[in-house]
Amino acid sequence: MGLLQELVFGLVTGSYIAIAAIGFTLIYGIVNMINFAYGEYISLGAFIGFLAANTLPGPLPVAVVAAMIGGGVVSIVLARGFFTPINQTGPVPMLLTSIGLGIALRNGIRLVGGRSARYFETDTSTFRFDALPDIPIGPVDLLGGFFVTSEHLIVIGSAAAVFAAVHLLLTRTDVGIAMRAMGDDESLARVRGIDTQLIRDSVWILAGVLAGLAGVLMAVQTNVSADTGYSHILQILSAAILGGAGSPYGAILGAYVIGLVLAVSTAFLPSSMTGLSSAMAFVILIAVLLVKPSGIAGTEVREA
Amino acid sequence: MSSDITDRVNRRAFLAAAGGGGVVGLSGCVGFGGGGDGGDGGDGSGGDSGTDDGSDGGDGGSQDTIVFGQPGALTGSFDFLQPGVSQAADAAVSHINDAGGVLGAELELVRRDTGVDPQEARTVATQLVENDDAAAIVGLFSSEINPLWDFLQDLQTPVVTPWPGSTFLDTRGGDKGTADDVSDDEWVWRTVVGDTVHTAGSAVYALEEGYDTLGVINGNTEGERSYVEGFLSVYEENGGTVAERVEVELGSSSYQSALSRLFDADFDAFLVSMPQESAITALSDWSDGGYGRQPILSDTLAQQAVIDQVGSDLHGAWVASPGRSGPSYDAFESVYTEHGDAEINGWTPPSWDAVQVTALAIERAGEASPEAIQRNLGPVSRGEGTVVSTFAEGKEALANGEEITYEGAATPVNFTEHGNVFGSVTISTAESGGFTETTEVPAEDVREYVAEGDY
Repeated sequence: MGLLQELVFGLVTGSYIAIAAIGFTLIYGIVNMINFAYGEYISLGAFIGFLAANTLPGPLPVAVVAAMIGGGVVSIVLARGFFTPINQTGPVPMLLTSIGLGIALRNGIRLVGGRSARYFETDTSTFRFDALPDIPIGPVDLLGGFFVTSEHLIVIGSAAAVFAAVHLLLTRTDVGIAMRAMGDDESLARVRGIDTQLIRDSVWILAGVLAGLAGVLMAVQTNVSADTGYSHILQILSAAILGGAGSPYGAILGAYVIGLVLAVSTAFLPSSMTGLSSAMAFVILIAVLLVKPSGIAGTEVREA
Repeated sequence: MSSDITDRVNRRAFLAAAGGGGVVGLSGCVGFGGGGDGGDGGDGSGGDSGTDDGSDGGDGGSQDTIVFGQPGALTGSFDFLQPGVSQAADAAVSHINDAGGVLGAELELVRRDTGVDPQEARTVATQLVENDDAAAIVGLFSSEINPLWDFLQDLQTPVVTPWPGSTFLDTRGGDKGTADDVSDDEWVWRTVVGDTVHTAGSAVYALEEGYDTLGVINGNTEGERSYVEGFLSVYEENGGTVAERVEVELGSSSYQSALSRLFDADFDAFLVSMPQESAITALSDWSDGGYGRQPILSDTLAQQAVIDQVGSDLHGAWVASPGRSGPSYDAFESVYTEHGDAEINGWTPPSWDAVQVTALAIERAGEASPEAIQRNLGPVSRGEGTVVSTFAEGKEALANGEEITYEGAATPVNFTEHGNVFGSVTISTAESGGFTETTEVPAEDVREYVAEGDY
């Protein structure tokens, strides 16, 4: 059992979660709400991507782009319809609205999309690296041979591209700098002439774009169904909180911690406890919050 | 002063009126058995619109309509199996009504969705009995029955279900061999062969094929655990060895870590017990990882979609599932195919059997009360009477004063004292065109591995 192989699996799982967690935490940090409907945004992205893959000519990346655009449009439309009108009511009414919207969307998707899971038609190549030497310490092999698949590489590569793009957006563009300013102090940002509604809309669109991408990547690995995103929302939420709610960099870190804990705990827990790997991720979350309530990245945890 | 009195009287009158109105309103909300609005969770496939006025489905023999309630997996992990089960139940209801109905009354089926969620199942079962006046329930999964066991006993309505394989039911349910005495009864019967039987068949087949060591990967729900426990009890008792067992959460985006751990062990074949969607993800990961070895799949995975998504690596994998060919399978199939084109799965003929045997119990009892049904399920299934293969035949025989024994589409439906049935086990092998039935393990062979009284 090679630790290196488990690290690869953890990186892949972390990458799925990280892409979605960035969108989730940006909404939290800038719109100041926990959006429990975000799982359904991911599911909608998966459905849009699936529809595009089966109707548009061209390879899978075309469907990915369509899902990202569609996700952005869906996100801003839903935000304008359900969240913008209650912006001033505070985080709790918005949280409750998002829970209700999530339930409605999930059942709506099930009603329209049907109950059967759908699958992307993809070919996967596997690359093996068996020549690496074993470095055993007890039952654990620190190195050893490992494999990666083309799907793994695409997921990790997509996550790296998203990290770079979000970093550039937040540090090199006016919109990104305004987002950070709003995240720090919305009133002060408004006084300095920032159009806060425009920035909120931008955040919704960005979160929707990321949900669309995450949806297609998750669906390629699993399937397209009403539960594609919903089944991951707890991991996404945990990554955002673990990293420091509101911080996209913290969300990335939190996602990889959770991904690695999931992989390593499955590999090394006693046989009777392997079904509890998700619980281990939450144990880590609780432990970190007990020691550092603001999360790994140290951003202030807002009241919600 | 007087105005104070007047005010007080008015306030009292208001409170009395409000209280009375509240009671009336609450009673309308809660419902006391009447005014059922029909199944709102139906799938549109017919038979799901209760039009009763609240006075039927009770205890008389003179009502116009008798209602069976069917909790269904219209959504959830097993929804892909529901179309066949629904079509079989609808076909059975249609057949019964064509034969003149039960006790001359029209039989209606009210179907509601549980999503295979125990809490939802509890609500649905209550709605079916209280609102829809269902005389019997012809559904419910292991994952729903096991946690709701006490509730279902308190409900005192026969649950005759085509779904559950759980070993939990091996010694629970049925009339305990005393049909007339309901005091020792447990109100659950199943028309599908339990996991104990077909997992025994699967384990025996694995050993016969020379797979002496086994790896196991299973989901962490009751149904998946039960399947594996049933398999392993026979497998290990007969010389098989389990090299590694990994339990996983369902709905994960990847099972690579679990597979990596599993395949570090040395074994000949590996058993997969997971719902279809999670199993496709896990088996796709298995194929991508090039782990190899012989896959043995749980019964719910004998689906074309599994082969289509996993690909040719899965060819040669085999599944043991309850045999579909009971004594009256042909009679079932001819009616079934007239009612739609849903694929027949391992739970489809048992669904037909559940409706048929329950209707025959009412016909024999002469009334449609839950207790009467409970008393008569045993006698119409395991007696020495005239063998009948459909409700129509049974109705005619009963009208002639004969005792009957219903022989079903999936199994002979000879209910054991615990309300279970025995049947053959079919081994199907994955090929490019689908799962092909390759071997059948006779019921008698499997029965050797199941002790008398333990099932």
